[in-house]
Amino acid sequence: MAAIEVNNLSRAYEYYRKEPGVLGSLKAFVHREKLYAHAVSDVSFSVEEGELVGFLGPNGAGKTTTLKMLSGILHPSGGEAKVLGFTPYKREKAYQKQFALVMGQKNQLVPDLPAMETFILNKEIYEISDNDFHKQSEELIELFDIRDILDIQVRKLSLGQRMKCELVAALLHQPKVLFLDEPTIGLDVVAQKNIRDFLKKYNEKKKITILITSHYMEDIKELCERVIIINKGKKIFDGKLKKLIEDYAPYKLIKVTFTGEGVEKYTVEAFGTIEEFSPYSCAIRVKREEAKQTAIRLLSSPLPVDDILIDEMKVDDVVRKIFSES
Amino acid sequence: MKKFLTIVRAFWQRSLTYRFTILSYRLGEIGETIVLILMWSAVYEGQGEVIKGFTLQEMMTYILVGNFFNVLIRNFLAEVVGRDIREGRLSMFLVRPMGYFSYILSQEVGRISVSTMMSVLSQAIVIAFFWRAFLWNFDLLYLLVLVLMLLLAFFTELLLSFLVGLVAFWIDEIDGIYSTIERVRRFFSGGYFPLSLLPAALAQISFFLPFSYSFFVPAQLYLKKIDLMTGLQGLAVQTAWILLLLLAIRLVWKRGLRRYEGVGI
Ligand SMILES: Nc1ncnc2c1ncn2[C@@H]1O[C@H](COP(=O)(O)OP(=O)(O)OP(=O)(O)O)[C@@H](O)[C@H]1O
Ligand SMILES: [Mg+2]
Repeated sequence: MAAIEVNNLSRAYEYYRKEPGVLGSLKAFVHREKLYAHAVSDVSFSVEEGELVGFLGPNGAGKTTTLKMLSGILHPSGGEAKVLGFTPYKREKAYQKQFALVMGQKNQLVPDLPAMETFILNKEIYEISDNDFHKQSEELIELFDIRDILDIQVRKLSLGQRMKCELVAALLHQPKVLFLDEPTIGLDVVAQKNIRDFLKKYNEKKKITILITSHYMEDIKELCERVIIINKGKKIFDGKLKKLIEDYAPYKLIKVTFTGEGVEKYTVEAFGTIEEFSPYSCAIRVKREEAKQTAIRLLSSPLPVDDILIDEMKVDDVVRKIFSES
Repeated sequence: MKKFLTIVRAFWQRSLTYRFTILSYRLGEIGETIVLILMWSAVYEGQGEVIKGFTLQEMMTYILVGNFFNVLIRNFLAEVVGRDIREGRLSMFLVRPMGYFSYILSQEVGRISVSTMMSVLSQAIVIAFFWRAFLWNFDLLYLLVLVLMLLLAFFTELLLSFLVGLVAFWIDEIDGIYSTIERVRRFFSGGYFPLSLLPAALAQISFFLPFSYSFFVPAQLYLKKIDLMTGLQGLAVQTAWILLLLLAIRLVWKRGLRRYEGVGI
């Protein structure tokens, strides 16, 4: 059975338009025009137990809205979602004890208390036994190496430290499904990597199902084999990250280094579009199916080729291209 | 129960980190009580011995004991609830297996307990300062009814504040509304002046409202200006209000939450 099962899920928001200025405000006071924003429309996918799936999309694509529906905060306006066999919006305790939601922008830690206090609160709220609590908290504290910040008020912690504590608080009850909404937002590269490494390890070890959104391609590249991409509320891709690149990047990059004096630009221009150039190395963009041929031509040409490498385009570029096209 | 105690303890601890804030609020409270006393003393000097059945000594006791009760009873839940809803923090509660209502009520009890104790202490100091003017009541039966009344009033106020906080489901800008409601509550509680100074009909009505039980009625009871029987009737009125409020909260919460979740769009 799939851990997450989403069928034709839709969600509209009601909102009101207000014309600018005082007159607009007055008008709106008397009569407001009701409008609907279709944040998610007709999205279907399923995630198997233990999978770690990246959920991508540009700003306003509907990612947070989808995660909120999966955690039962929002009621879908169409379609249905099932997580671990539960219907999220019913908010059954049995379901709530088996999943967790971590949002980079919203905290569950009480800002004025040390993180340990929130852990203890969660122990009671989730009815975790003393034994389990002890084992799980020790393990997480160890993994994140945060023992020395546990008794400092949360609002005095750095963003990275806080996010680690957020994750610990969310994992104490050993959820089977974890929803992560931009868990690395605003963190420096080191902290980002820490969180990533942790998630990777934790996912492998506990076979926990994770759905993660992030605007940092590093996160996605390192963590997710599979990605789901939505834009303007509609799903536009669902599959292996590798396949995404094959499907959406019709080009490959041929990176060539030269020996000796190097080469002049016009001599390589004939092989394809030049992406980067210096006399000693260059990157040439060629059609995917012509990559091998071009490489052979390059090697057999009189150019002083030292080394040659056929590479995929960068994930970032591919994703940017998809976002801007759809 | 253990949940409740853990939450109370955590927020009790939190409030201890705000010693200075708590202290400075108490200064304001003491000041307010003293200003009221001075004001009434001046009024009595111009007006003579008794105003609407209150001697100066009774009036001073009314203010002192009423404020003492009031600090025991009041809470600041409306703002907390309003902010949780408006800033979307409610979401983080909705995903956890504990009702928001019981969580936030326990939180508030823990949150205010330190400041309540400090207030009780500071009001006791003020009372000690006006020792001579203060009338004592050691009638055990009265005190028993009084304690019950204060307990019920504490819960009534909690529920009332929670209900007021829920307004945030429908209205974004809540601060103005809260402060207006706060003033109305204070007026009808008799915190500005004894409600018996109002026309008799209004004073009568106030007995059937929940507000007067956090100041006026218990202070009157203490002064034995109302008898035990009326005090017991008061307890019945309070109980009725608590039930009514619980019902209202159920309804409003349900509808508000539907709006928050966006059911039926
Ligand atoms: N409470 C709301 N009322 C009205 N419209 C909303 C509300 N919340 C979100 N929206 C709209 O729904 C759409 C999807 O928003 P959502 O927050 O799900 O996007 P997202 O993919 O999480 O974006 P981001 O990457 O910026 O976090 C946006 O167009 C947004 O303007
Ligand atoms: Mg978002």
